[in-house]
Amino acid sequence: MSAVPETLPALAERADAAYLDFVEGFREYILGKGADFEDRLNTVLLAEQARRGQPWDDVEQIREYVHSLPLGRLRDRLSRTQQEMKWFALRRSFESQRAELLAELDRYDARGPGRLELDPNFVHPPYVNVHFHLQPGGYYKDALSGYLYHYGTKVFFRGDNDHDELHAKLVARVPAPADGRVERILDLACSIGQSSTAFRRRFPSAEVTGIDYSAPMLRVAHRRAAMLGDEVTFAQRLIEKTGYADGQFDITFAFIVFHELPLRIIHETVREAARVTRRGGIFAIYDFTGTRDKSPYQRYHRWFDARHNGEPYSQDFCDCDMNAILADNGFEVAAAALGQRSGGAGYMTNWFATRV
Amino acid sequence: MSEITQQTPEGGTPIAGENPVYLKDPVLDATVRMVVELAAQVWIERERRITLESLLEAQGTLSRAAIESFKPDAAQAAALKRERARFIEDVFKELRRIPPTV
Repeated sequence: MSAVPETLPALAERADAAYLDFVEGFREYILGKGADFEDRLNTVLLAEQARRGQPWDDVEQIREYVHSLPLGRLRDRLSRTQQEMKWFALRRSFESQRAELLAELDRYDARGPGRLELDPNFVHPPYVNVHFHLQPGGYYKDALSGYLYHYGTKVFFRGDNDHDELHAKLVARVPAPADGRVERILDLACSIGQSSTAFRRRFPSAEVTGIDYSAPMLRVAHRRAAMLGDEVTFAQRLIEKTGYADGQFDITFAFIVFHELPLRIIHETVREAARVTRRGGIFAIYDFTGTRDKSPYQRYHRWFDARHNGEPYSQDFCDCDMNAILADNGFEVAAAALGQRSGGAGYMTNWFATRV
Repeated sequence: MSEITQQTPEGGTPIAGENPVYLKDPVLDATVRMVVELAAQVWIERERRITLESLLEAQGTLSRAAIESFKPDAAQAAALKRERARFIEDVFKELRRIPPTV
């Protein structure tokens, strides 16, 4: 395996890395078999369901029952705490090197390969003003958001994505258009561009563009791609109103963004993807599965994440019919479920849709 | 660092406030947070000690007796006090999050 440049900036102190290493391990422990909250709470939820003689109607009923259990309340406390600890440590560590980190971004802004296109007149729609996953300042108000996000997701993926392995794997699974033509690829809500660069590596002659509303994310995306030597354009644009020409892209891609969008924007984004993806092109989406047919615990977990982990739109997304929304906008969907990740209920699925 | 004081989600699930209480008693919430924080601090120290001991042993530069008999000078003592204050703040900052009334 060839050496991969370390694109994550170093933390200020060894102690910061050890702290975050602890949080990663602790997260694994409470989401997985260590504390075993999922199986133990699900067992009592199913037993209570049997005692009541009917399935749980809605998540509010489940919530009420979970909150009546000391174990359920402790699970919530610890889930929230590990997330808060992560941001506390990251923020302190990066804050102490703010000037250097910003200077680093300045150095890379105009450097190639690839191009950074920020819009000085960009207006952020109100719906993006959310502390997604409790990230301090949200995704765009802090100039260091991209660095916080990069390290934050490293901890989130618990070692599975330290060198973008997950992005590479998911991008590799995206089907190419039936005619094989892949000249232009659009990565919607690309954040720090891990999927964008994976696409560029898979299709080295294709022009890859990643768009996002967050300038700090895009700056980190550009720096990262430049460090890796991957030629990608990163542009500050709205995914629901990209401004690109009709049918311009052979593949349009969206990795775990739809659950962070209000329903109105979900519809607008699918409509926009249908407009910019050429006929025969592919619109590939990875995102959460619905929760209605999931275990009571998984339904509860989704509610908890929505309310207590800064994911206000995720419940509505999980309850909506993406297949229907895609079909209504001129896509033919061939869905294939992915295997479940261990631990946590944020199970992903995919929609691989062809523009007809 | 910049802050946003008010989030503006469009519909969806209402977001919990900055400091939710899960355990019905904020003191219990703070206690759990302090225990987890302490565990993190213990791990930081253990990771560093293992690193140090490994390096020292490999280089053969220091005996255990020297560690036991170490006396900090004034500057070192002041630095230790600063470290101690940071340690206490990290663990016990939770106390400030307990509201005076419930």
